[in-house]
Amino acid sequence: MRVALLLGRRLGTALPILLVVSALLFAALRALPVDPAAMSMPPNATLVEIDAQRRAMGLDRPLPVQYAIWLRGALRGNFGQSIQLRRSAAALATQALPATVELAVAAMLIASGLGLGGGFVLFALRGTPAEPVADLGTTLLLSLPDFLWALLLLVVFGVLLPVLPFVGRIGPDFALHGATGFLLLDTLLAGSPAAFASALADLALPAAALGIAFAPAIMRVLRSSLAQVWHQDYIVQARLRGIGERRLLLVHAARNAILPTLALMGVQFGFLFGGTLLVEVIYSFPGIGNLMVDAVHNADLPVIQVVGIAYCVVVLAISMAVDALVLTLDPRLRRLR
Amino acid sequence: MAPSRRSFLALSAATLAAPAVAGAAKDAATIGWPSDVPSWDPNQRFVPDAQSIFKAVFDQPLDQSPALQLVPSVIKSWSMAPDALSMRVELRDDVSFHDGSKLTTADFHYTFFDRTRPTSTLDIKNSWRKAADIEVLSPTRAVMHFSSPAPTAPEWLAFLGSFIVPKAYIERVGEKEFAQKPVGSGPYRLVEYETNARIVLERNEKYWGPKPAIPRVTIEIIKDPSARVAAVQSGQVDLTIAVPVREAVRLHGQIDPITRIILLQVRDDLGFADERVRLAAHHAIDKAALSRAFYNGRAVPLSQLATPGTSGYMPDLTVSYDPKLAMQLLAAAGYGPKKPVKIGFASTNGQFPSDYDIARAIGQMWGRVGIQADIQVIEYGKYFLLNRGHKLPEATLYTFDNATGDPEIFVGYMLDPKLPFSPWQGKTIGREITAAFDIPGEAARIARWKQIDRQAMATGAKIPLLQSVQTMVRAKGLGVTGYGNGWVLPQTMRWS
Repeated sequence: MRVALLLGRRLGTALPILLVVSALLFAALRALPVDPAAMSMPPNATLVEIDAQRRAMGLDRPLPVQYAIWLRGALRGNFGQSIQLRRSAAALATQALPATVELAVAAMLIASGLGLGGGFVLFALRGTPAEPVADLGTTLLLSLPDFLWALLLLVVFGVLLPVLPFVGRIGPDFALHGATGFLLLDTLLAGSPAAFASALADLALPAAALGIAFAPAIMRVLRSSLAQVWHQDYIVQARLRGIGERRLLLVHAARNAILPTLALMGVQFGFLFGGTLLVEVIYSFPGIGNLMVDAVHNADLPVIQVVGIAYCVVVLAISMAVDALVLTLDPRLRRLR
Repeated sequence: MAPSRRSFLALSAATLAAPAVAGAAKDAATIGWPSDVPSWDPNQRFVPDAQSIFKAVFDQPLDQSPALQLVPSVIKSWSMAPDALSMRVELRDDVSFHDGSKLTTADFHYTFFDRTRPTSTLDIKNSWRKAADIEVLSPTRAVMHFSSPAPTAPEWLAFLGSFIVPKAYIERVGEKEFAQKPVGSGPYRLVEYETNARIVLERNEKYWGPKPAIPRVTIEIIKDPSARVAAVQSGQVDLTIAVPVREAVRLHGQIDPITRIILLQVRDDLGFADERVRLAAHHAIDKAALSRAFYNGRAVPLSQLATPGTSGYMPDLTVSYDPKLAMQLLAAAGYGPKKPVKIGFASTNGQFPSDYDIARAIGQMWGRVGIQADIQVIEYGKYFLLNRGHKLPEATLYTFDNATGDPEIFVGYMLDPKLPFSPWQGKTIGREITAAFDIPGEAARIARWKQIDRQAMATGAKIPLLQSVQTMVRAKGLGVTGYGNGWVLPQTMRWS
């Protein structure tokens, strides 16, 4: 109940945040030196026709008026039409969102697996000759951004070996359509293990590229947290009670050390979600990152606006989910608030 | 590839145990294409890259041969009136849409008249502003009437967005539904589509024309050039285009000149107000060197607003690379290497291959003769905004596509001050262009466009650089017909 109240309060602050983000985004997009009216017209449109289009799109009106019109529509679920595709911007984003969510979740699972596993290994190696080598390894992992991992994995596992596909979300023998848009789920619901395997194979490289790039930070935070907790009195007393080192680490130390790591993972997931842009383009993954890149290229302001808001909503949702998790795991925080 | 094999490969891939990709079977082919269609209503948005895909699903009234000559298609014969105010057309009587309904002049009327009225929001409206009426004489015969001479109407019937759509089907399901589930009359049917991801086409077994050799074609939308290279190299796609020139060379692909011109758009004022400075800027550019450096020598140096082989091309019209002459012209205008004329020079970066590098090379060539260019990078979308406000700098690097190859669309569209492309505001050329659009008679109008092109070169109103190229890499054994305008048509692909 206490958790629900705290989350309700967070939700109350999320709505003004969304409003501010939408206004900032709207103003920033209108300040861009592009001509959406010209971009929305055919190549043989005259200057007179483009001017008429500009008026029809309301681009000649004051910025606050333009925003008020947009906001009124948005509150009714109308986020405008894509300039380039002449389709509902919200529908385009909704259609593309599951692919990005699926990719981000898979990447987060990989990042969590590698990060948590690596964190325990780093902690175990402390004080040994292997520690500097392990530190160098994590530094190397940290220094490569996700899109470089994407290219590297594509070349190695897609071209040189080649063991994994890297185009789209599923092999050409399987349909892309599904009830939910989450292909792994849809293929399972359809009872097609082959299609599931194909979707999983297509997801492997982009998810790994994102996951590997985000894992080192988790490793380091977990190691630091474990090191901090390891010398606390309750661990010493537990050891004196005869509890084995493995149990001490995995049960007693990890329970407290995981809390800051979880908070970091929440933040990381938000970054990871935003970081799918280039990885989606490289792997031809039809998510909102791909949609955003196209929209920016075509000065498709309504689509940029709605995708920007979608990112904001997802990041806020992730933040609330992590808050809920941390509050559930740590009763002290519930009391403190 | 048989499904069982594919399934096995996919499962293996999931466990990192075996290759997930393999060569395609001979009854299918996969294309890696750089962009998606904007909509499945082919009249809605004009995007040159989508033409090849639309031409697989829909028919155009007239077609173009690989050498870009107009050839019959759904229209089997046509005759333009001497005053170019009307054109008789006769349609084939054996064309059906994918839903089995007959294609008739009712569909022709619907596409090129009903859908082009002023209230229409479709791009096709702008192509047929002159369409005053389409008189339907029978299911196969009609007369197009124009409000002013339309000598290039046949070319426009084979150009961007001019695809015949089914009247009855659209009226029954609505335009929105049509754009989701298109029904065309082309050599392929659309069987699967996922935005920004995949297009699957299956052969239309009842197609009136030559049947495609490959029954099933999958088009994977791969926007990243490096990913397209990797996809064709790994065998995940059988053919791809628009890869970097160096990759096309490395993979023994094709680098073919097409009807796309790389040019400098120039102003007629500011630092370029003096004609001698503009001409000096033209003479100072070593176009052959640009071609060698950035296009493996395959891009053809150009000195006019037409590409070789098109009706407006003049083999005798050249503007020499002559730095000495450039320096003489600049000296006459009061400039030189020690007292350079200072100009702004805009370029996109990544809009077309090596664009920014070309701009930098030109900047260096200009620097040697006494033109100091301040290079600034702009987004493609910003070009139109700046041009509208007359804020483009003296020179801007630009490309212009013209699948028809017709000089009206090259010279006329590139120079017309009423259109959003050209920063040149010279009134004389503007008036001449307006008049040239209405000249009836093929020989007379071509001659006029050539004359205007010569005039533009003589006054430095444009600085053409190169005929651009299209790169293509394809699997061994996969053939495809090459078109002078860069079309890659699935219906012309075949396995040997």
